[in-house]
Amino acid sequence: MQTMNTLLSLSDNLRTFWSYTGFYNAEPEHLIMILIGLVFIYLTITKEYEPLLLIPIGFGILVGNIPFNEAANLKIGIYEEGSVLNILYQGVVQGWYPPLIFLGIGAMTDFSALIANPKLILIGAAAQFGIFGAYIIALQMGFAPNEAGAIGIIGGADGPTAIFTSSKLAPHLLGAVAISAYSYMALVPVIQPPFMRLFTTRKERLIRMKNPRVVSQTEKILFPIMGLLLTAFLVPSGLPLLGMLFFGNLLKESGVTRRLAETARGPLIDTVTILLGFTVGASTQATTFLRVESLKVFAIGALSFVIGTCTGLLFVKFLNLFLSREKKLNPLIGNAGVSAVPDAARISQSLGLEYDPSNYLLMHAMGPNVAGVIGSAVAAGILLGFLY
Amino acid sequence: MRVIKQLMVYLFAMVAMLSGCSTTPENPEWVINEVMVVNENSYMDSYGQRHPWIEIYNNTARTMDIGGRYLTNDPDHPKKYAIPRGDALTNVKPHQHILFFADEMPLKGTFHLNFTLDSTKENWIGLYDNDGKTLLDEIVIPAGMQADQTFGYEKDGLKYDEEGNNTAQILDRVTPSSNNAILEENLKVKYLEENDADGGLLTITSMLVVFLGLIVLYFFFKLSGNIAKRMSQRQVAKSGTLSAVRSHSHLSGEVLAAISAAIYELKEDQHDIESTILTIQQVKRNFSPWNTKRQSLRELPR
Repeated sequence: MQTMNTLLSLSDNLRTFWSYTGFYNAEPEHLIMILIGLVFIYLTITKEYEPLLLIPIGFGILVGNIPFNEAANLKIGIYEEGSVLNILYQGVVQGWYPPLIFLGIGAMTDFSALIANPKLILIGAAAQFGIFGAYIIALQMGFAPNEAGAIGIIGGADGPTAIFTSSKLAPHLLGAVAISAYSYMALVPVIQPPFMRLFTTRKERLIRMKNPRVVSQTEKILFPIMGLLLTAFLVPSGLPLLGMLFFGNLLKESGVTRRLAETARGPLIDTVTILLGFTVGASTQATTFLRVESLKVFAIGALSFVIGTCTGLLFVKFLNLFLSREKKLNPLIGNAGVSAVPDAARISQSLGLEYDPSNYLLMHAMGPNVAGVIGSAVAAGILLGFLY
Repeated sequence: MRVIKQLMVYLFAMVAMLSGCSTTPENPEWVINEVMVVNENSYMDSYGQRHPWIEIYNNTARTMDIGGRYLTNDPDHPKKYAIPRGDALTNVKPHQHILFFADEMPLKGTFHLNFTLDSTKENWIGLYDNDGKTLLDEIVIPAGMQADQTFGYEKDGLKYDEEGNNTAQILDRVTPSSNNAILEENLKVKYLEENDADGGLLTITSMLVVFLGLIVLYFFFKLSGNIAKRMSQRQVAKSGTLSAVRSHSHLSGEVLAAISAAIYELKEDQHDIESTILTIQQVKRNFSPWNTKRQSLRELPR
């Protein structure tokens, strides 16, 4: 009899244990998300698509979609208050991580191409039409204005900006917006070239641009100070992003804070990138992520990149109408205005080299590329001002 | 350097002008937000009794402790009721409220005052800072308030409107310890849904602002670039090098090279006077860190 009772309790224990396992709690949606995470990891390792971000995101998707007994209140899920993942996720929800990443970006970015040829700044402004084009499309697809703003910011091609903005405007779309933004940033070498060929003639692609002048140290120091004052006075709601971007750049250019600049562009940005990527990935729990809205977000996100690329290219062609022959710009640098630093500028370079093996466009494309970062932060500030 | 200083002075003057000098009074950090003088069927205290009450609003974006400040209904006696320090409940979260009962029973706890309000006359209520001298906020409730009626501000913490008028009034809704204005939805979003359903207006406005912001940057750096170029030319001119000659003359590089070669040969005295043809071959240095192979090494995704 005692043996029987022991066997029964053992069986009960095993049954209880089974109810806590991932196998018992698994739903088809979990398996789909795990598959998506594995595809991310595979593509990143084999094709090197934005590896620094997509590996943490891909692995985060796996972690976030391990099924467990939510009713048991184990405090392990990312959405369970007080869990480790939830605490790390606060950096995304409260918007701490993106400004820290901007600090690192500022500390690693050389703005001299922009300072030497300031008209390239305007290309960075034109490419922001991708954000607002996507905003209009999202409204037409039935999203509310705040949701449309969160989706539109994908067109800024700037992950931290997209996360910062969507965490404020539409937190329920944060996962889809972040995954979409980073995925398309990784895919700019696939998305942009067809449109760059479509909107430029062979003659335009062969335009050689004048080498930029050498920029003095004083100008480099003035840039972050004046950049902050002029943009943040206009759009104070973009202050967390703009402030940190220009602060990081001043650390780099001042010449007296080398250690701080190295920390900002090294260990700090690496740490925050790991936390940001991992928690954004983990936030894509099947129950909150696998919805029709997410698919719509992905579709609009792709369109926003296309719109931004096209408006950047067309704006360069428009500018060329007013420029003398020796000052004309190669329209192939127009795509770089969408931000996605530095991949978009590298695409300008590789496409330029394809048509003229000695025409190096990288230094010119870096101008609109970094202007795109400023432009998208300003655009995010405007969206927050209007919609938050 | 003088030019840069001048530029900075102009810029600061411009910013100062743009920032304007508003004369509208500012809304205080603590606002006596809503007051009930006659409480017959309204909010009860934790003892289950009804008394007049005073709601104070934290009008800032940070948690603040109201402990140590003074509440009074007598301007000649500003330290009438000292709000006890060290009570965790006196910490008021950003844009939240705290409520005191004017029941003349301070021994009941932190939130029970040692004075009451009288509906037959005008009631002045003041909140003083820790020094007992600085008046943080005051409100005057008119005489004759009806039972269960409150006097305060329609929008929490908004004491003055854009013209600087005090907006205190008898309120339509009684809302002890909660927002006077109940926001059911984001008003900005609602406005856009009603007036800009297709998003065109917001798009045009936003693109104008983005362009404006970056055009301002463009003009500034165009100007500072020109100044920097002029300064570097001056510095080169001062140094008296060949570059200095080049920067101040319109002679081509080839002509300057020929003159330099002639001077060199004359100084070294290596040749007699001969009739020769001087051929100058330009040496192009195409290398730059921007066109190194390393920059193009990343393969495009297949």
